[in-house]
Amino acid sequence: MADDNASPDAVVIERSFDAPVAQIWQMWTDPEHFAAWYGPDGASIPVAKMDVRVGGTRLVCMEAQTPAGPMQMWFTGEYLEVTENTRLVYTESMCDQSGNVLAPSAMGMPEDHPTTTEVRVELDEDGGGRTRMVLTHLGIPSDSPGATGWTMALDKLATHAAAHGNGSS
Amino acid sequence: MATAIDEDRLSETFAALASSTRRAMLARLAEGSATVNELAEPFDLTLPAVSKHIKVLERAGLVVRGRHAQYRPCALDPAPLAEVASWTEEYRHVWEARFDQMDDYLTRLRPHARTDDHDG
Repeated sequence: MADDNASPDAVVIERSFDAPVAQIWQMWTDPEHFAAWYGPDGASIPVAKMDVRVGGTRLVCMEAQTPAGPMQMWFTGEYLEVTENTRLVYTESMCDQSGNVLAPSAMGMPEDHPTTTEVRVELDEDGGGRTRMVLTHLGIPSDSPGATGWTMALDKLATHAAAHGNGSS
Repeated sequence: MATAIDEDRLSETFAALASSTRRAMLARLAEGSATVNELAEPFDLTLPAVSKHIKVLERAGLVVRGRHAQYRPCALDPAPLAEVASWTEEYRHVWEARFDQMDDYLTRLRPHARTDDHDG
């Protein structure tokens, strides 16, 4: 696990927040709080349903404004680990608005892309009422929402190239 | 952290990739090195036009030319591609932006919007 940072299949981010762990836990588990920060730049979260217990499901809608009008993306998943104020692990998949998981290929992604990814949130007291948070996002498909066809083609190309030409110093 | 130089390099890579002809050339080179003539074959382009495309790819560091062989075959250098195609970089930005927003939101939630207190 020591080399997770270097893994091409994971994002690991460590942050310290000026708030107690219980409040950071709420940021992830209370739909109202979650919706207030989760939307990436310019996106809003019109729907956030969270049954935060092991085996419980989640359904999140992200709405982004694009030149072609608002675009909704739905994500669902299951809570795998729920240890209050300490550790939260859930899966994430793209889905329709009823929560039916969509195969990556149905979203225009290459067949070999994982349907499901995993988000891990680990919280720790950081002294002075602060909280240290480590986020690990594993196995995210290389196309981000909004990726165009050519970036997907590019991924294939890069994979192919990496497999064939490993001597590029 | 991406430096200004990285950003410049990324822009150049993206610019080089903005042409479907050049992407097709890269796809061809992913299968092995090729001469300019071989690269030109599938396209309805003059050789000078093809050379121009190759120069753009070279500047972006995506293509290297052989120095010794008479026909200076082109080969793909996948390093800049890996940078562009790396989803981790892209998602890292998304998450960092989200956590900035979480920080702002936490500040707004504080009962006594604090001014600058420097106590530990």
